[in-house]
This record gives sequence, C-alpha cells and structure tokens, in this order.
Amino acid sequence: MAETATKEFVHNLHELPHTVKDACFRLGKTPESEREESQATFHNLFLHIHSVRVHLRTLSPTLTFGLGLTAMASFVITIITGVLLMVYYKPSTDLAYQSMKDIHFTVYTGRFIRNIHRWAAQLMVLVVLLHMARVFFTASYKKPREFNWLVGLGLLVITLALSFTGYLLPWDQLAYWAITIGSNIANSPRELTDAIGITKWFDPGGFQKRLLLGANFVGQDSLIRFYVLHVFVLPLALVTLLGVHFWRIRKDGGLAKPEDPMGGLAEWGGERRTVFQPLATKTYGLMALVKGKRPPVNRGPENTVMSWPHLFWAELAVFMLTVAITLTLSFYWDAPLKELANPAIPENPAKAPWYFLGLQELVSYSAFMGGMLIPVIVLIGLALIPFLDRRSGGEGVWFGTPGEKATTWQSLFFALAVTVGMLAFTVNFGWLRNWFPNIHQLWIIAINPGSLLVLIFAAWSLLILKRKDSVRLAAVSLFTCFLVSFTLLTYFATVHRGPNWHFYWWPSQWPLH
Amino acid sequence: MKDPSRIYRWMLLLASLVTIAYLVGAAVQENYLAQWKGIQRQYRNLLEDKATDDRGRELLAKFRIEMKQASIPALGTVDRCVTCHNGIDDPRMTDVSQPHRVHPGHILDKHPVDRFGCTVCHHGQGAAMTFREAKADDVYWDYPLLPPEMTEATCATCHDPETLPPDQAPLLLAGMELYREKSCGSCHKLGGRGGTLGPALDNEGAKTRHQLIMTNLRPPHTAWNWQLAHFRDPGGVVGGSLMRNPTVTQRGALALTVYMLSQWNRDVPESYLAPDKIEQKYRALHPVPLTGEQVYQQYCTACHGNGTYSRWDKKFNRFVPAIRGVSLVATASPKYLRANIEQGRPGTQMPAWGPHAGGLLPQEIAAVIEYLRNGATEAPLTPMAMPTGDATRGLSLFLRNCYGCHGMNGRGGMAPEIGNPVFQQAATDAFIVRTIQNGRVGTAMPAFQRRDAPVFSDQEIADVLAYLRTLAGPKAQRAMAQNMTASAPSGGRP
Repeated sequence: MAETATKEFVHNLHELPHTVKDACFRLGKTPESEREESQATFHNLFLHIHSVRVHLRTLSPTLTFGLGLTAMASFVITIITGVLLMVYYKPSTDLAYQSMKDIHFTVYTGRFIRNIHRWAAQLMVLVVLLHMARVFFTASYKKPREFNWLVGLGLLVITLALSFTGYLLPWDQLAYWAITIGSNIANSPRELTDAIGITKWFDPGGFQKRLLLGANFVGQDSLIRFYVLHVFVLPLALVTLLGVHFWRIRKDGGLAKPEDPMGGLAEWGGERRTVFQPLATKTYGLMALVKGKRPPVNRGPENTVMSWPHLFWAELAVFMLTVAITLTLSFYWDAPLKELANPAIPENPAKAPWYFLGLQELVSYSAFMGGMLIPVIVLIGLALIPFLDRRSGGEGVWFGTPGEKATTWQSLFFALAVTVGMLAFTVNFGWLRNWFPNIHQLWIIAINPGSLLVLIFAAWSLLILKRKDSVRLAAVSLFTCFLVSFTLLTYFATVHRGPNWHFYWWPSQWPLH
Repeated sequence: MKDPSRIYRWMLLLASLVTIAYLVGAAVQENYLAQWKGIQRQYRNLLEDKATDDRGRELLAKFRIEMKQASIPALGTVDRCVTCHNGIDDPRMTDVSQPHRVHPGHILDKHPVDRFGCTVCHHGQGAAMTFREAKADDVYWDYPLLPPEMTEATCATCHDPETLPPDQAPLLLAGMELYREKSCGSCHKLGGRGGTLGPALDNEGAKTRHQLIMTNLRPPHTAWNWQLAHFRDPGGVVGGSLMRNPTVTQRGALALTVYMLSQWNRDVPESYLAPDKIEQKYRALHPVPLTGEQVYQQYCTACHGNGTYSRWDKKFNRFVPAIRGVSLVATASPKYLRANIEQGRPGTQMPAWGPHAGGLLPQEIAAVIEYLRNGATEAPLTPMAMPTGDATRGLSLFLRNCYGCHGMNGRGGMAPEIGNPVFQQAATDAFIVRTIQNGRVGTAMPAFQRRDAPVFSDQEIADVLAYLRTLAGPKAQRAMAQNMTASAPSGGRP
C-alpha cells in the first residue's frame, strides 16, 4: 500500500504542471467547435454574463461606438490607478497637498499615474453622457429596458459624484474653491427660503451643505468625508449598480435591435435558411426566464455569431483603445495641481468642475433655480422618458422613428438659437436686478434665463407633440434641447466667463491677478 | 461570410502598440531622461577628476546616484535641492559650474543643510525635482525662488537685522533705513504703528502673487518683482494709487523690496530663533519711545514735508497744512495740537495717531508736540473782547472770502476742513480769530486784518466766527458726515 501511495504521489508531482493548468484553464485549448466556444463563455464567471451567441448588429462599431464599454473601461482604469494613488495619498489637510507633490515629484511614474487617473475620470464622465445620448437616440430605453434606463441614470449620478468628490482630494486652490462653489450650489435652496423668510425654521439648503461638508466651510471634516465617499462608498455603489446594469442588459435580451427581416443571414452574405415554423400545439419560450420570444417564433434564424471569439475581441479592443487614449492624454497633459489651498485667497473666477459649469452658469442667474429646481426637473424628466414614450418601434436603430432625424435637426437649431440668444441678451442687457434694483428676489427666482430656457423648451416639445402627433418625437425634441443647452452652457461658462463671472471673449483677456 | 471581428483585432493590435509605446516612453523618461540623474552623473565625473587624495577617493566611493533631500519637519519643509546641488558643502567645488558649485560665503557653517534645508532662506519649491519647478516663477507655487540679491530678506525670519554684522544683510538694513527716511509710516502701519491711508505691511512678505495686482507688471509675475516695480512707480503698477513715488535709486528700490519681503510673521520653532530675534520681539511689545524729531520724520513728513510751508498735494488735490509754521505755533495751543494728532481729522487724509489708532505712545505725542512748537513758550490766547457776531452776515462774508478754499459749509476743498468736528471742538474762538486776523505764514491763508490794509473789521470777524460756529450744529454736522462717507474711499476731492 505504502509503496503505491508513494508512487501515486510522485506521479502526481510529475503531472503537477498539467493538472494545475487544466484546473485553471478548464477547456485546456483554444475552442474549436461552437460547443467548446459556448463552454468557454459560460464556464467563466466574467464571460458568462454574455450570451453565447451575439447578434451581428451588436458588433457593428457604429451602433454603440463602444461607449458603454469605454465608460466601464475608464472606470476600471480609475480603480487600478486609484488604488496605486491611495498608497501614497494622505487624507489630511496638513499632509494631503504635500503627498500630492510627492506623488508628482518622487513616486516612480507617480505623475503619470495621477494623470491617467484624472484623464480616465474625465473620459468616464464624458462617455457616460454620450452613452446616455446613444441609448436615447437609438430608442434603446423602450420596453423591456425601462428599468435599465433608470439604473443608468443612477450610474450617471454616481459617476458625477465620484468625479466631484475626487476633485477636493489634492487640497490645492483649484480643489478648494471648486468644492466651495459646489457646496454653495448644494446650499442654493436657501435663496428661496431666504426670499420667503423661512430659513430660520426650515433650511434644507444649509442642511445639504452641512451634510456634504460636515461643517459650515471646507475643512478637514469635508476632506475625510469626500475621501470616504470617493474611495469606498461611491465605488461600491457604482460596482453594485453596474452589476445590475449588465445583468439587465442580458435579461432584457442584449442590445436593443429591430426584428430581423425574414430570411436571416442573407443580408450578411450568409445562406438563406428556412423559416422556423411553429407548431400550433406547442408553447415556446424559456419558462419566462428571459424576456422576448425564444426560440424565434415566426422569424428567421437570427443573424448571430458566436460570442467567443468575436464579441470578446471587440470588447478587448474597446478596452485597449480606452487605455491607449487615456495614456496618450496623460503623457502630454498633466493633471492640474495649483497652489496649496488658502481660504484667504479666493480663486477668481472660482469655477466648479467642468460638468457642473452649465449649472454654475444657471446658478449665476438664480441659485435656487440653477442649483436645485432645474437639475431636479432634468433628472425627473430623463427618468420619465421610457414611461411616457411607450409605443414600440425604432429600437436599436439610430433615429429609427419616422421623422426623427428632421425633428432632431430642427430642435438642435432651435435650442442653439434660443440658448445663444438668451446668453447674448443676458450679457448685453443684464437681467431684472439691473433694471429694477429693488425688485423682490422671488421675481428673479421665478423669471430668469434658466427658468425661461426650461419653459421655452417645454413649450417647443409640446408644439412638436401637437404638430407631429408623436410622443417619441416630443421626447426627441426635448432631449435634443437639453443636450444642446447643456453643451452650450458648459462651453460658455468654461471659455467666456472670467473673473467676477464677467463675460470675456477669451481667457487671455482676463485681468491678471 | 466576412469575419465580423476582423476590424476589432486590428484595433486591438493598434491600441496595444500605442499603449506599450507610452508605457515604455514613461519608463524611459523616468529612468534615463530625468534631469537630476544627468546632473548627478556629471557630478560623479567631477568627483572623479578631483579624487586626488584619500578623502576625495572616499567621497567618490560613497557617491550614489539617488534622490537626496533635507527633510525638516520642524519647518514643515522637504527640500530636494541637494539632489542636483551636490557640491553645496564641498569646498573643492569652487571652479565648477552650477549646479555643482559650493555654497558661497560661510553661511552653511552656522546653517547646516540638514538642519535648515534650503527654502527657509531661498524660497522656491523644495519638493520639486526639476529646476523649472524648483524655481517656480511660472508654475503654481506661492513662493518662487528669490533672486540671490534678495535672499537676505529671509534672514529676518530668525534674526534681528540690526544686530547682524552690517555686511551680512546690507540691503535689508538699507531698506529699513529708507522706510524711516521716506516716512512710509505716515500712511502704512507696521507693528501696530503708522497711518491708515495705505495697507498695513506686517505680513507683506507673505503675500503671494495672487494678492497683488499684476495687470501692469512685466513678467515675471512674482511678488518680489511686483515690489521692485512698485517702488519705482507706485501709480504705474497700481492704477489710482494714492502712494507718492518714493523717489529712490534702483538700489533703494531693491533695498525697500528686501525689507518688505522680510516682513513675514512666519511660524518658526523657537529653537531656530537667534537670541536677538527674541529680544526684538520683546521690544516690539515694549517699545522705547522715539524722540519728537524721530516721530515727525517717520510718521509725518510724507504728507507735511518739513512742516514750515503748506504743501500742495497732487494726489490729495488739496493743501496739506503747515503744522510747524510760525503762525500756527504762535496761535495753536498744545491742547489743540494734541486733539488734532490723537483724533486726526475724520474724513480727511489725516488719521488719528492716539495709542489705539496710529499706535503712538502718549510720551511720543507729547514729544512731537514739543517738536512742532519748536520750543515756543505757551502764551495762552486770552479771549479778546469781540462784538457780538451775526451768523447770517458771517455767511455772506464766508461765501465771498473763505468758501473758495475752505468749501461750502467748511467742508474743505483745497484748504483744511474748518467744519470738521475735531477742529470745531479743539479750536477756541481766540484761535480762530487770531488765525483770521494774522493768516498763516508760508501757506495760502492770508491775513484778513493786516495793519496796513485790513480786509475785515472786528465786527466782520465776529460775524464770520459766529457763522463758523453754526457749522458745529447738528444740521451742518450731518452734511459733514455725508461728505465724509462720500469722500472716504477716494480721499481726493474734485
């Protein structure tokens, strides 16, 4: 017996490289048949969220431009670089700035890593917004994907919060004053409560601000709060919601797509196959596990290919492309690090992070309108889209609803004209306070360029609803107006607002300080 | 069928190549292209050249190419300057080029790098690893490297400049002397003493470029360059500045700049302070009173000149009274002078100089009054027997003879504000009557009752006096107060 056991042990030892390899790579070779390709997919935790076969439309670069994946990829990049930065960063007002300087100057490739973190984060915000626009203009929020649209909105808010909380951590002048502005935006309901004189008893603005900062000013309490949110709470929330987001994509039948034309692969150069004929006596569908009809009843075979390797090549390519773009940006453009935060020397102009600059422009007209009511209206409006526009059609096709392209162009020019006109008017002629210096603040809260823009866009959308007799087109017009004015206001506040929030044609004209 | 993932594989290849290229690029930059590594390699060659004795060979053997720093927790600094300035404490490195050269002078004997670091004296960004970022005049950093000639400003952080050997900080001492000579204290407070027309200068050296107006300044936009340009031409750097041109030489401007940069209440541990610095701090709390002449020189001459004539001030757009003029000395009582000095003339450019305002000690005020009176014995002005005056007639006389300079309601114009509350309270009737009768020698105020050609009769003077006293009434004072608030920010009058 003993001898046999020894032999067995030696044999096992000898076989060790093979057995470990087999255990780790269970298939043990490149999949050769479709069956093995299927196994490669669903035997792997990270791949099994994909279906085994993927529709050819999904692989088309111009359907999604890989935007969602890019957002995911940039998130992964920020996680990796963020962990590296955490090793050196010290979340204390006395040490934070010095640790940033050390990361810049002495940590091995520290500045490069910080640049990557910064650029990936900026890219993520941008791409999440573009991804939302893609989903909207391909009508991909429609049944059964309403819930995933809501999850996506949650992800948008978390993404903005993640970026915003990270802004404070360097504890430089840029961080300090951007967060001061940001927290004053949180404080903006006070404009309304002050105007009607109830701040003493009911002060949601002050509460929000103190909740955010942990004090009445930006200090150590705020820094540790932002740090905990940035490195723990928000990433955890994002990962959780991201899991739900991906799982819902799978459960809702992959990317939204129109019904295949009868005859299947013909349009892709494949053979024309016989249409599946359902038997009247049988039921079809996978026990309601997955929404949609499976197997395809009354349809031709779908234009699908195996996910392994096609989809995974595509995903890897998008991921690496994101890495390449981020590295390129990081190699040439440093993340900003200004002087040590100094509450005695306000930055002028003090600007919020770029994605909040549109809001800051509105806040400059009315804090409550721009900082509270309009963002809430926009968020609620976005959330309601899939529940108000319920008629199916056009899913998975850019501007797939009849007349959608025309409506988009019309709304684009309309919003462009209205927003530019409003900004030009305000810059040239001022607003109510300039004309009637003693007017009650409530008038300005109610009537200001921000609230007028919202009203005009709402009216425009109602007009489209009447004229074109389509809820989808009304939604398209409103969404286009939102996108255009968001972009324009952000651009305007970034480039044309200088010290004291005055208008300048170009930052080089700003008076020096 | 076309391979649907072909384009992605190309994309993957391309993106991966780009990624690898940048990663390699970053590694090369970090390892081989770092500026400081090249400098340390040069320095090692220098060491090799100079390794002619055992000590030299030992230094060469010990030399490693690595980052070097002086970390001084007590000062809150980490200075990596020595990463490139390797020869800073090697006396053999006199004939080599920067950054390898030895530190000039014998400063390091008493200020070793490992105890003091570099930036506590030189400013600049000590943590930086490239010269551009260490110099920091075009990067985001509050205190860029001081030019060598200005470095002595920071001696004052731990030393009392006046006890230093005179050749150690000549510009700092010259600046301090110029500050007194040019009577900067007339308008600026320093250590709680001085006028209020200009900003207090106690922490002037701590100001960053963001606290100074750089619009009219040629680069570099640094605080020291601002100071330098400002002392050459205050109005040219700060538009609308009330400050008089101090009319100093280039070296004088440099000296004043150094003195201003030395004004920095930097928090340094006591163990770093020289004993004389502690004495200086004690003296600031318990000042030795200045003589009358010193007080006048340091706190009055910027506006009043030598005080014997009435000076026309272009910036103030008015005459500044001749406070040492013979006629004033003859008529003004010490009490009147004390009231005007201690309380100032509210609403005019004349600030209050009492202990809680301008910070002059009571002894100093007494001394400067002595100095103004120039030894004149106090001959109390006896009230003269004057006829009863009529204010209405007085007003018409005032409008014809006085209003031109003293302004409506005595609000002042070119001439002093005789409606001013401090004047109204401090000036006795006899003082006013004497002044009208005899005028003020050396000023634009004529005598209205010269013996050879009297303008006013006794009755008319009494009428004017009666009118002037109505200016102390509540209605006139309200008008005066409005005038003050209206004129306070600009100081000048149209």
